[in-house]
Order: sequence, then structure tokens, then C-alpha cells
Amino acid sequence: MPTALLRLSLLIAAFFVTAAQAAPGPAASMVRISTTAQQPDYSVPWNPGNVGSGVGAGFVIEGKRIMTNAHVVSNATFITVVKEGDPTPWEARVLHVAHDCDLAILGVYDERFFEGTKPLQFGGIPALESTVSAYGYPIGGNRLSVTTGVVSRIDFQPYSHSEVDSHLAIQIDAAINPGNSGGPVMQDGKVVGVAFQGFSGAVAQNVGYMIPTPVVRRFLKDVEDGTYDRYMDLAATYFPMLNPAQRAALGVEEPDTGVLIGSVFDSGSSAGKLQPGDVILSVDGLKVYSDGKIDLDGERTEMAEVFERKFKGDQVKLEVMRDGSKQDIALELDRPWPFEMQARSYDKRPRFVLVGGLLFQPLSRDFLDSQKGVDTRLRYFFDYYVTDHLYREYPEVVVLSEILKDPVNTYVAPFKGGIVDKINGQRIRSLQDVAAAFEQPGEFHVIELLGEGRPIVLERSALAEASERIRQRYGVTTEQNL
Amino acid sequence: MHSSSPSFFPGRACGPRRTAAIFAALLVSASFSQGMETLKPYLPNAEATAAPTDQTAPATEASPAMAPETETRPLPPVVRVNVASQSYNFSQPWRKNPPVLRQGLGVVLTDGRILVTAELVNNHTYVELEKPETALKAAAQVEVVDYDANLALLAAPAAEFLQSINGARLDETAAVGDRVEILQLESNGTPVRTPATITTIEVGAYPVDENAFLLFKLSAPLQSRENSFTVPVFKDDRLVGLVMRYDPRSQTADVVPSPVIQHFLDAAGREPYAGFPRAGLTFSDTRDPQLRQYAKLPNGTGGAYITKVLPGSPAAAAGLKLGDVLLRVDGKAIDQDGNYEDPRFGKISLAHYVSTVMQAGQKLPVVVWREGAEVQVEGALAPRDRSSMISQPYIFDAPPKFVIVGGLVFSELSRQYLREWGPDWPREAPLHLVYLDRYQSELPGDRGKIVFVSSVLPGPNTVGYENLSHEVVEEVNGRPIKSLADLAAAVDSPTGQFHRIKLAEDPGLVVLDVEGSKSEEERIKRDYRLPSLRQLDGAE
Repeated sequence: MPTALLRLSLLIAAFFVTAAQAAPGPAASMVRISTTAQQPDYSVPWNPGNVGSGVGAGFVIEGKRIMTNAHVVSNATFITVVKEGDPTPWEARVLHVAHDCDLAILGVYDERFFEGTKPLQFGGIPALESTVSAYGYPIGGNRLSVTTGVVSRIDFQPYSHSEVDSHLAIQIDAAINPGNSGGPVMQDGKVVGVAFQGFSGAVAQNVGYMIPTPVVRRFLKDVEDGTYDRYMDLAATYFPMLNPAQRAALGVEEPDTGVLIGSVFDSGSSAGKLQPGDVILSVDGLKVYSDGKIDLDGERTEMAEVFERKFKGDQVKLEVMRDGSKQDIALELDRPWPFEMQARSYDKRPRFVLVGGLLFQPLSRDFLDSQKGVDTRLRYFFDYYVTDHLYREYPEVVVLSEILKDPVNTYVAPFKGGIVDKINGQRIRSLQDVAAAFEQPGEFHVIELLGEGRPIVLERSALAEASERIRQRYGVTTEQNL
Repeated sequence: MHSSSPSFFPGRACGPRRTAAIFAALLVSASFSQGMETLKPYLPNAEATAAPTDQTAPATEASPAMAPETETRPLPPVVRVNVASQSYNFSQPWRKNPPVLRQGLGVVLTDGRILVTAELVNNHTYVELEKPETALKAAAQVEVVDYDANLALLAAPAAEFLQSINGARLDETAAVGDRVEILQLESNGTPVRTPATITTIEVGAYPVDENAFLLFKLSAPLQSRENSFTVPVFKDDRLVGLVMRYDPRSQTADVVPSPVIQHFLDAAGREPYAGFPRAGLTFSDTRDPQLRQYAKLPNGTGGAYITKVLPGSPAAAAGLKLGDVLLRVDGKAIDQDGNYEDPRFGKISLAHYVSTVMQAGQKLPVVVWREGAEVQVEGALAPRDRSSMISQPYIFDAPPKFVIVGGLVFSELSRQYLREWGPDWPREAPLHLVYLDRYQSELPGDRGKIVFVSSVLPGPNTVGYENLSHEVVEEVNGRPIKSLADLAAAVDSPTGQFHRIKLAEDPGLVVLDVEGSKSEEERIKRDYRLPSLRQLDGAE
């Protein structure tokens, strides 16, 4: 489910120091990760992008692997790791990355790196108010840092790395700062969490979050087959049912039970199985309370935790009240694609098509963030893409995002920011459609935007010369990336 | 003596919040100590744009040559017009906002009626005339008001009240570069004439709706004085127009000019008042040679490319279509920008000809370029039919419609509702409602009004519904909802024990107990002090 945006800062520091001396305890498993990353440039998509560097933490786990946060190694072009007491930087690579739960596993090209290290073991969910210690390389010095605090809260939280995912997270009051990212949070000699995000001091004090071990274990299990299939989702919205009339009208007699299905998204686990107006009474035999919670492993937690723990292709059994009668429905879990548009993406090059100085890009969160003065229509298409089922009509929303000024497009400037409806009479519902439509023969290219009555006309014979001119003047290295 | 009344909407985190509606007249003296009120051009109305004050460009620093002169000439034909006004609160539609007082100058016409801007009298509760020299006062009635053209006529009071005043006549000659005078009054009644220059004459946006009419732009160093909400502009004692906006930073005033006033007076002389006709189309220029080639438009000709034809409009009735290129309108050639050659003003947008030179009901022959050939059509002009609009651009002088059922408050979408979010409402108001309002012409023709849950008055019936906010209603008790009246009718004929309210957005379905809702009515009326749970006869 998409979640409300919460401004959380990720805990990656950007500075360099020399390695520290070896130390006993968890220090023997600690890894300091230095990355060079290149951020894609969505406003000039053929640009290579800005290069920056950062430092994060990681720790050695079984199988000669290093665990860290996805955001520590996102968009990385070069990664080195340094262990405690060893001055040598070793080149590392990403084995698996899960942007939806902000975890990554690294390998080191030269496995001798792991000599003398001790893989850390994972524990369970620490009790509220119990003491934990966070290890990492935060600002304030160069050597390994340890801070201690208590478990403040165990709850579902938005994971700010993707901006659309929410999972179980544990809030701790140990000081966690930039550079703690990816570091282990320990209790009784075991890892009980991976530090990953917190609020900046201006917003809140001593609010840090770690990824708890159920999420970490799920990631480790998911990648056992060599690929990461991501989190599964019901692909339907559901709502508490606290109103007596609503409950009675839908035939729900059992007190405190049931959540109401609001929307069902076409692409996903529930499509064709659930309907708006259904009431979910139980999930895998667990009673669903009318506030959307279940009792799982002795904890009152969100119903979603059942789906969260499952994998692609797993079944989930629902007991549903539909039109006054109970039904058993089995779903096969999958990941719905429409949410991806609203998620931040990593390790991908921006996709675009450039024709006659007209730049076409698919709508996405990264694209939208690169734009200034986004109009109402585009904001609506982004925010309501899933909820108003716009994905049905628009597998991709293609935007005329920029006009590189040239004699061939002198009069096109006012159309910047419009959503492309048709090119040369063909409906545009993906970036591939744009490239294909421009292959159509004819004297003119005719581009129609949503809500604009006047077509944009490009004379085909003038385009070849113009394209060359535009390539040279604007430093365009390639005219499309599909 | 003008009241400023910030009002907040209490207790709802995500509901509309009326931004401190410090009421600002156009150039009121009471606020002068903080610098003059900035009225940004092209924002909906003076109330909404009043909040920022500008201290950078006090008008007093004008050059000596432009300084206002105070001299003894015959008293101009103006009276002070003091208006008590009370707007409705669209987020709590049973409530009126605190009253405000606006003061402007009205121009006495030769027939004894008084001309003011429509903004001065919107939502008026009392209109009073005051003679400048004697401070003699008399109540007045608003006779005709046209919010599109921003003009209103007040009925003449008893003949003796205006006895000494010779009515003003309209100017027919003012042109770009002409010197004119903006008239204000000192508190003692002495006329103050500020010289101004007409810098631009063009078709531009008026304060409400997306209407564009002819307007004059003046360059003038205006000071804030009493009765400056509306001030007249004269040239040789003839009325050039009424100032409707003033930007103290650029020292420019936007004026409703005499041709628009003349049309208004002509239309006001006929029953029923038909207002300003509209063709019901939008067009874009045809300067782009590639577009001209594509449309096979001959070189050296003009033409305006039709980009939208509103359903049910005169343009649609005449058979005009998207992609037609307007070549001649009433025999007048249309250039590449959509202008015609006006005998007085030169190149002016065709919109002026259709809306202001022509009258509603008149036939308009049009020649368009369609598929490589000229086609002639003709249509009778008519004013825009507002009742057919999905979302009204403004609602004045009438209470907002609402229906309360079991504690759920239902409203109909209008831009007036969205304006409750303040001057930045397009960004602040709920995005899907802004989208529906903005692009209403793209919705299906039979969409009807958009009815939504505007707020919740919590009670036993609404347990679990407290967070509802701006969900659009699709059906109630199996009936499609295309207006609040539909909703009221559906609620009045329940099909069983429950009202089933189907929403277009999550949670999709809201159910109310029929008996429970009924028994709640008295409590809601009492606890929230509501005179009625329904208001259905508001403005169309």
C-alpha cells in the first residue's frame, strides 16, 4: 500500500577516514563501506549524472556475505569495504538488493577479506524497553561508534528509501546518525535489527529506526533461490469497520471482526478474487479485528504482516463475507506493478525518447521530483494513478517533459509538461509506443496532448537536420533509452 | 472604518481552513499605515488576494509631475457607496462569515442609477449611498449585477437625493497614451484627481471565472483613501471606466472600460438581463508555420485554430468543430493571433467582438477553414448557461447547498468551495476536487454535479466515519447521485433499514441506519445550533 510521505533521513554519511584497530566482540564483524555512486539525472536524462561518495556500515553474516542497507549501495559505481583492524580497502559488489525493505547483501571479490571475521547471528524481536546497542560509523569521529538505548516502539512504519513501502520497524532511542546506516543493532550478542533511518534533529530527538529480524530473515529467505522477488501485497485497500450500521448492513454479526474492502487493483493478488464491499473476517485462520489487526505470535499486529511474511506464489486463505454469506477465498500472492510508478527507483537509467528537441519521459517519482511547476493534471495522474485506476488506461503516462529550443520547435514551448495522448494517430500508453509511433510514415509528425485541442506538428523533412543540430548544441549523447 | 475579521475553521485537521480573511478593500485608508494592499492581477477576487501587504512602493513617492491635484472644479457625479457584506462559509455551509464593510465610489449615471463594480456589492446585506459634500445617506438596492463583467447597477434613490448631481456620460474616445484622471475623495469630500496614462488596451482576465473582457491598464501612483474599493476614471468629465485592481508595486491599475460598461447598460435595459454573449469556444494562434502547413492554411492569411467547442454552446450549435480555423467573423478578418481590427482600438482579440460588441441573441456569421476549404456557418449568440456547468466558478448572494444525513455533511463541488483553502487553493485544496473543477469540460456531458462528503459532525451514527473527507458520492440507496437534490430524494426514500452510500473513493461504502439518522436530526440541530439540516435552494 502506498503510504503517506514521511520525511525521514537516511543514515549514510559522506566523509572518509582511515580504518580503526581491531576490537573484540561485534567489532570483529563490523565493516565500513565506502561507495561512489552516480545519481541519474532525470531532468537531462542522457547526462551521466552526478558522482558522489558516501560511507555506511555493514556486518559480516554467514556465507561470506556482508549485510547493509540498500540505500548505502544504491546507484553505486564502486564499493570498497574495510574491516576493523585491517587498513586495506577491499573491492565489494552487490549480490542482492531489496529497495522495498532497504536491505542489501554484498560480496567481496577476494574472499580472503573474510579471514579473521566472525559472522553475526540474528536474534528475535527485542522486548519493549529492553536495552540495545547500535554499531556504526556515524559523524563525530572516525572509529567504530557504539551507542545504547532502549526499544521504544514496535510498529509498521514507512520505509523512506522507496517512499511507498511500509513494513514492521523498531524505534529505538539510541543515538543513530548518518553513518549508522546498515550497522547492526545488538542485544545479547545477536543482531536484533539493522539501523536504517531516523528523524533529523530538527523534527524529533532520539527517534531512530531499525529493520527488525523478521524483515531481514524474509529477505535472506527470498534470495535463497538467487533472485529477489520483493514483498507481496494484497493489492486491495481495506478499512476498519467500526460503524454498527455498516456492520449490520453487510451482515457481519461477530463483534469486533472484519475489515471492508474498498478498492481492488486489477494487477495483483486480489484481482478477480476480491470485490469492493467484501468483508475480510479471517486470514489464514487468524481472526481479523475490525481495526485491521490480528494476533500473530502473541503480538497484536497489522493484518498485512501475514502477507509480508509470505513469498511470491504463496497462498493466503481468506474468509470473506460477501452479500451476506461467508466464502473461503484463496489468493496466490504477487506484487502489483502499478505501485512501482510511485516508488523511487535505483540502479536504473532514466528512460526517454528525444525527437526534434521534444523530450518524452514516462511519469515516475524520480521524474516528478526533477520537474518544476508541475500542473494539476500531472499531479493528479501521479497521486491518483493507483487509487483512481489510471493504470488501466495508462500502463505508462508519457510526458512531453522538455523542449530543447531549436528552429524546428519554435512554437512548441507552451506545451511543456503536457501528457501525450496520441502521436501520428496512435494512442501513447508507454514509452515504447512513442518510439513506434514516430516510425509511422507521413509528411508530418502530429502530437496530441491530453486536454490540448491544438496538435503539435513537426515537419518530418526538417527533422533529420534538426536532430543533428540539437545533438551538437545540447550535448545529447543518445536520443533514446527505452 | 472597515472591519478586519480573521476567522478560522476550528477543530478539523484536514478540513478547509479559511485563511485569515483580513478583508481588504482595494485602497482602503485604514490599512495604509502598513503599506497599501497589494492586489495581484489575475487572482480571483480582492478578498482572496488581500492578505499580503506591500511596503516597497508607497504611492507617495511618485514624481511631482504625477502628484494628485486637489483643486476646485465642479463636483464630479459620484457618491460614496458603503456596503455591508457577509459571505457564506462553504466548509460550514450553514454559517455566514463575519460581516465586513466595503467602501467605494459609485458613478451617478444620467438616468440617476449608480454604477459600481460587482465585487463591491457581492454578498451584500446592506447598501448605503452617501453624498460626499453633505454626508447625507440613503439606502440603495442592487438592481442588476454581472459578476463576469464585474459591474453592478444600483437603483436610484428618491429623486431629491441626487438632485444636485448631473449624471456622468460614458467616454467614447479614450485610447492608448491618453491622459485620464482617477477620482478619489478626501475624507472631507474634496475630490482628488490622480493623473494617469492609459498604457495598454487588451482583452484580459477579470476577477472571477476565466472570463476575459476588454480592459484598460493605467499607469498611476494611487494613494489609499476612503471609499477606494471602487474608484472611477474620467477623461474630460466623461467616464472612462472603474478601477477593479491596483498593484502598488508596478503602479498599474486595471480598469473595466467604457465599452464593457456600455454593453452592460444596454443589456440591463432589456428584460430579462442576458449579459454578455459567449461563442463557447477556445482558440490558439496559427503562427507556427508547421501547423499552418498541416492545416493546409494558405500563406499570408490569418486564422485562429479552434481548440475546444463547449457542448451546448452557440459554437457547437453552429456546427463549429475542433480543428476548424476561424478566418472571418461577421465579415471581419481574423489574424494569426485571433485578433480583428477594431475601428477604435486596433488589433483586439475576437473575444471582445463576440462578448461585448455583439449582444446576446444576435446572429454571427463565421467563415472557417475546414479540410482545405472555406466553410460558412452562422449561429445566434447566447450567454453561457451556468446551470449546466458541473462546478460553478463562483457563488455569491446565495447560501451554499448542503444536506446533512445522520451527521455526514454533503456538499456540491464549486470553485467557491475550493476557495475556502485560501489564495493558494489550487495547491492546497483536495487534489481530485481541484482536478474535477479544473477539467470539468472533459467530463462526460451527463456527469451532473459532483456531490461529496464535505465533513462529519460526529455522533453515534458516524462512529468509524470520522476521517471521511471529500469522498465523491456515486450512489445512494441504489440511485445515481448527480446533484444534492438527487441525494436528498434518495435519502427520503430508503429501501430498507439502511441508507447505503456508495463512494467513488475508499472506503467505497458507507452505511447509515435510517431510524438512527432520523433520531439524530434533533440532536444535531440542537448541539451544533443548525437551523436546518438541508439547504437545497442555493444558487445554480
